[in-house]
Amino acid sequence: MTRIFVPRDAAAIAVGADAVAAALAEALPGATIIRNGSRGLAWLEPMVEVETDRGRIAYGPVSVADVAGLVAAGLLCGQAHPLCHGLTEEIPFLKRQTRLTFARCGITDPLSLADYCAHGGYRGLERAIGLGPDDTIEELVKSGLRGRGGAGFPTGVKWRTVQQAVGPRKYVVCNADEGDSGTFADRMIMEGDPFVVIEGMTIAGVATGATKGYLYIRSEYPHAIATMNAAITLARGAGYLGADVAGRGAAFDIEVRVGAGAYVCGEETALLESIEGRRGMVRAKPPLPAHKGLFGCPTVINNVISLASVPAILGKGAEFYRNFGLGRSRGTMPVQLAGNIRQGGLFEAAFGMTLGALVEEIGGGTATGRPVRAVQVGGPLGAYFPPALFDTPFDYEAFAARDGLIGHGGIVVFDDTVDMANQARFAMEFCAIESCGKCTPCRIGSTRGVEVIDRIRRGEGREKNLALIDELCTTMKLGSLCALGGFTPYPVLSAIRHFREDFGVAEQETT
Amino acid sequence: MPKLTINGTEVEVPPGYTILQACNQAGIEVPHFCFHQRLAIAGNCRMCLVEQEKAPKPVASCAMPVADGMVVHTNSPLAQKARKGVMEFLLINHPLDCPICDQGGECDLQDEAMAYGKDRGRYQEAKRAVRAKDFGPLVKATMTRCIHCTRCIRFAADVAGVPDLGGTGRGENMEVGTYVEKALTSELSGNMIDLCPVGALTSKPYAFEARAWELRKTESIDVVDAVGTNIRLDARGQAVLRILPRVNEDVNEEWLSDKGRFVVDGLLKRRLDRPYIRRNGKLVEASWPEALTIAAERLGKASADRIAAIAGDLCDVESMLALKEVMTSLGSTNLDCRQDGAKTPAAVRSSYIFNSAIAGIDKADVVLLIGTNPRQEAPVINARLRKRYLKGGFKAGQIGPFFDSTFPVTALGEGPAVLQALVEGNHAWLDVLKSAQNPMIIMGSGAVARADGLAILDLACRLADAVGAVREDWNGFNVLQRAASRVGGLDIGFVPGPGGRDLDGILDGASKGEVEVVYLLGADEFDVSRLGNAFVIYQGHHGDAGAGRADIVLPGAAYTEKNGTYVNTEGRVQLGRLAVYPPGEAKEDWRVLRALSEHLGRALPYDSLPQLRQHMLSLFPLFAQVDDVVATAWQDFGVQGPVSGADFAYPIDTYYMTDPISRASPTMAECAVSLAPNPLSKTGTHG
Repeated sequence: MTRIFVPRDAAAIAVGADAVAAALAEALPGATIIRNGSRGLAWLEPMVEVETDRGRIAYGPVSVADVAGLVAAGLLCGQAHPLCHGLTEEIPFLKRQTRLTFARCGITDPLSLADYCAHGGYRGLERAIGLGPDDTIEELVKSGLRGRGGAGFPTGVKWRTVQQAVGPRKYVVCNADEGDSGTFADRMIMEGDPFVVIEGMTIAGVATGATKGYLYIRSEYPHAIATMNAAITLARGAGYLGADVAGRGAAFDIEVRVGAGAYVCGEETALLESIEGRRGMVRAKPPLPAHKGLFGCPTVINNVISLASVPAILGKGAEFYRNFGLGRSRGTMPVQLAGNIRQGGLFEAAFGMTLGALVEEIGGGTATGRPVRAVQVGGPLGAYFPPALFDTPFDYEAFAARDGLIGHGGIVVFDDTVDMANQARFAMEFCAIESCGKCTPCRIGSTRGVEVIDRIRRGEGREKNLALIDELCTTMKLGSLCALGGFTPYPVLSAIRHFREDFGVAEQETT
Repeated sequence: MPKLTINGTEVEVPPGYTILQACNQAGIEVPHFCFHQRLAIAGNCRMCLVEQEKAPKPVASCAMPVADGMVVHTNSPLAQKARKGVMEFLLINHPLDCPICDQGGECDLQDEAMAYGKDRGRYQEAKRAVRAKDFGPLVKATMTRCIHCTRCIRFAADVAGVPDLGGTGRGENMEVGTYVEKALTSELSGNMIDLCPVGALTSKPYAFEARAWELRKTESIDVVDAVGTNIRLDARGQAVLRILPRVNEDVNEEWLSDKGRFVVDGLLKRRLDRPYIRRNGKLVEASWPEALTIAAERLGKASADRIAAIAGDLCDVESMLALKEVMTSLGSTNLDCRQDGAKTPAAVRSSYIFNSAIAGIDKADVVLLIGTNPRQEAPVINARLRKRYLKGGFKAGQIGPFFDSTFPVTALGEGPAVLQALVEGNHAWLDVLKSAQNPMIIMGSGAVARADGLAILDLACRLADAVGAVREDWNGFNVLQRAASRVGGLDIGFVPGPGGRDLDGILDGASKGEVEVVYLLGADEFDVSRLGNAFVIYQGHHGDAGAGRADIVLPGAAYTEKNGTYVNTEGRVQLGRLAVYPPGEAKEDWRVLRALSEHLGRALPYDSLPQLRQHMLSLFPLFAQVDDVVATAWQDFGVQGPVSGADFAYPIDTYYMTDPISRASPTMAECAVSLAPNPLSKTGTHG
C-alpha cells in the first residue's frame, strides 16, 4: 500500500493539513495516510509526500481543492503536477541543510517508536549507558554543544556540575516555553520527533543521576503537549521510561507541565518557580539551578533543542558533531526563518553561514518582494541587523561582537516599509507587558521606555530624549536581574543606531 | 577563608559570605533596599550593584557569594552609574510625598536619594499610582510609595509564617498586597513596618504623631510577655509615642510582638494618677498621706496570718522585693506572685525557666510542646521555632488543644494522659524524642496552673531525664512563662513562706473572712470576686479589675515610667528604664512601698534605687549578671501523684488583651475585635 505523508505539525494544520489528509483518505481509500512531522518548508505547507520507488515526492502547498487534481494527475505514483517539487530530498532548501538534530523530523511517524528506533533512535542512550555517566558527560563537553535556548552555556559543563552536586534528588527540566517571536524549532521537534526529546532527557537523567524529568511546554502549543504526552506514554510502555530504563537499572520518568502564558517563564529560574506552583518570577542567581534548582535540588535545565541534539552527539560521537561549525560554536543550529520572507521555515545547518546567505539565498528575500531593510535575530530581545551587516557569520561570538545575539536561532525579516521607531517601541512595550515585575530596571524602565520613544516619535525634544533612552537602556542593561530586562535594550539601541532616520525629525523640535 | 579585594583593600571573610556582607565587614557601606540579613535574598531592588572585575556587568552584591581572588569596586564610575540609574527609576514612580510621610527622617530611600538621586526628574509622564490598602488596624499601607523590595512578603512568608502577602499583577502593574483585602493575621506584623525601607508600610496608630528627630529614645525591656524583648521607647514630652525593638541576638533577634509594640496607647488611658480611698462604696480622690495612713492602719491592725499580698504579671523585681519585705516585717508569709495559680516551686530554678535559653532553639532537633501555644504566649519565640523548622531536620510534637501553628506540629493528644504515656514508655513519640540529638521540651505556664500542676511537673521532669533532654552540655527542659514578672518573683521567693497561703489559700481565706487585708501589687489577672469582704489595697498603674475592687488605690508606675529589673523566661536579668515620669501623683512602685513601710513604723532599709539594688544583690547575687543567662543546676522537681483527665488549657484567650495596659489600649481593643482568633463577643452596643 502506498504511503502518503501529510504533516501533523501545527504549522501545517494551521493551513489546512487536517482537511487535506481527510480529503486524501477519502479519495485514495487504498493508500495509507501517515501524519508525519513537518520537513520545515513552511511556505509549502501543507506539504504532501508520496512514497515511490524513486523516493519521497513532495507536493505543496496542497489545499483540499487540489486533491482531486493531484489524484487524477497520478499522485500515488509521484507524477508531475504544478504543485510537485520532485524528490523531497532534492529540494534545495532541504538539500543544503545538515540535519543532525532534525534528522528524523518529517521523515518518520512521530508516534511510532519502531519507526524511531529504525531511524537510529535510542542509539545515543544505548551508548550513554555503555559509557557511564562520566564519559557520557565528557563526550558532551568534547562535542562543544552549547545551550540552544539562547545563552549558549556549554551543556556538558552544566551536566557535570549537576552530576557533581550533592542533593537528595536531582531533576532534569526541559525548557519548551518557546516564547521568542519567529521561533518554532522546539515545537517542530516535539510534534515531529518527540522521542528524540525524551531520549535526550533520559540521557541527561542517566548521566547526572536525576530520576525525574519535567518537560515544561507553553500552553500555546496544544499539539506539542498532546504529542509529547502520547510519546511519553509509549516510551514508558516500552520500558524506555520508568523504574528500569531500557532494562539497564536506572530510573527515569518524565512529566509534562504546561505553562500559563508568561514569556518570562522561559527564563530558567522563573520556569522552575512556575513548576513549583508559584508566580513565574525570576530568582537571583547564584545559587545556580545546577546547585539548587527545582525544589531546591540540583537540576539540569536545558532547552528542547539542546536536549534533542544529545542523542545524535552520543550516537555519532563527539568528534563527528564538533566537526561542524567553527570557533566556539560547534555543531549545527536549527535556524528558523520567519517574518516577511519568501521561503520561511526551519533550516538546520552548521554554524558559520552568513546572515545574508540565510536571508537572501535560503529564504529568498522578502515575501512582498521588496528589499530587506532589517532582520531581527534571536527573538524579541535580539538586535536588528541592517543589510550592511549581512556578512555576519551565524555563530555566538560573531553576533555578540556586533552587539547582537543568535538566541534561539529565530530570524525575523522586515522589508523597507518597516517603521523602526515603532519596532523599538514594540520591544519596550513587549518588555513592559512581559516583565515579571521583580527587579526595578525592567519593571520601571520598560514602561518609561515606551513613553520616551513615543515622545521621540512625536518629535518632542528628539536629541534630549534619544540621549535619555540611551541612558535608560544602559540602566536596564547594567541593572536587570535577568535577560528580559537586560536584553530589551538590544533591539531598541540597534534600531536607533542603524535606523536613526526613523526616530523623529529634528526640524520638528519643540523644546 | 576566601580573600577578596574591595576598593583596593584585601578582605578575608568566612566562606558563603556575600559581597555585601564582606563590604559590611570591611566597613564599606553599600546601599540596598531589598536585602535584609534576616530575610531570604531576593536581589530585586538592584541598588546594591557593584563592579566585579571580569564580570560582564555589575553584580548585585547582596546575592553574589564571595570567591577567592575576587576584585570588587563599590564606588567605581560603573557602579555609580548603575545605582544612579536605578535610583532615578525608583524616583520616577515614588510619590516624593516626604512632607506628609511618616517614614520621613528614617527612610532608606530618602537617605540614598541624597547620595544617588538627581535634584529633578527627566521623565515627564504621570507617576504610577496605587490605591492604599487596608491591612488591618496596625499596619498602614500606602502602597503608592512601595518600591517592591518584597521585604514584607518575605517576612510574612518566612519569619511570621503566615502567607498573607504576595505580589499580584506583573511588570509595572505588580502590587504587593493580600489579594483579597484583609487584615494581616500575624502577631508579628508590626515588624514589617520596621522592615519597609520606605513609607509604604507605616504604623497606623502612630500615623502623623511625631517626627523621628523629635523623639527621645530610651532603651528598655518589653513586659507584655515573658520573652524580655529588648525595646526602645520613643517619647516626646511626657508620652511614649512608639515602641521599637532593639537587636539582641540571644533574645528577640530584632523582632517585637505586636502587643509589645502597639500597647503603647494603653499607657495614656485609664491611668491611676492619684490615690483613692473607697468611701460609702465609691472611690474618692485622696492625698498620699491619707491613703498611706489608712493602708498602714489596716495592715498593722490585722494579725500577720490575716494579711496577704499578691504580685501581678508586670511587676519589676525591686517592687516585689520591697513588698515582700514589708509583708515579712509584719510577720506575714501569705505571698504569691503566681496569680495564675501555677504550682511552680520557687525552690528549684530549673523548674520554671527556659533552661536551654531562647538561642538554644537553634540547636534543638525535636521539640515537644506541652500545654503551650507559643504563637500567642511568646510570638517572638515562636518565630525562632519557625526559623529552626525552616532550617530543616526538625520535628515538633504537641500536647494540648489544636492551635494554628506557624510550623508543622504533630498533635499527640490534648491532656496529661499523653505525658503519662510518654513517661511510662507507652507512646511512639518517646522514640522520636530519644533519638533526637538535642531534644527539647517546652512546657507552657498554663500546664502547671492547675490543681495537678506538681504532678505534671513531675512527669515532665521524668520525661526530660528519660529522653536525655538534660545533659552536661544541653538542658532542653524549658518552661515558657507568660508573665514578665514571674521568673523574677520566683527568684526572690515571692511565694508562701512556712505556713503561708498561696493564691488559692489567700482567695479562699478572703472569701471566708480568714484573710482581712489583701495587698495587690498590679495583680488583676484572677477572679477578684473571690476577695470576699477583705480590705483590698491595690497598688498599680491602671484602673483595671484590681483597682475596681480596691478599698485603697495607690498609684504606681507603668514599665515605661520606672527603672526596674525584669527576669525573662530564660532567667535572663534585664533592666527596664524610665522613659517618662509617672503621670500625676503616681510614683515609682518601690517608693510607694518604702513610704508605706515608714507609715507602718517598719522602714525598709533603703532610700534610693541604688541602695535597694545593693540590698537585692546581697540577698540574691544572681541579679548581678545583667543581660546574661545565669547557669542553673538541674534538680528534680514536682511531686509524683495522680493527674486529672482534663485537657490542657492555654493561658491566653485573646492575644491582644492580657494585661491592664493592653486592656486599656484602643488599638489592642480594635485588634481584639477584628484579628484575634477568638474575637471578643460583641456587646450589643457596637454600631
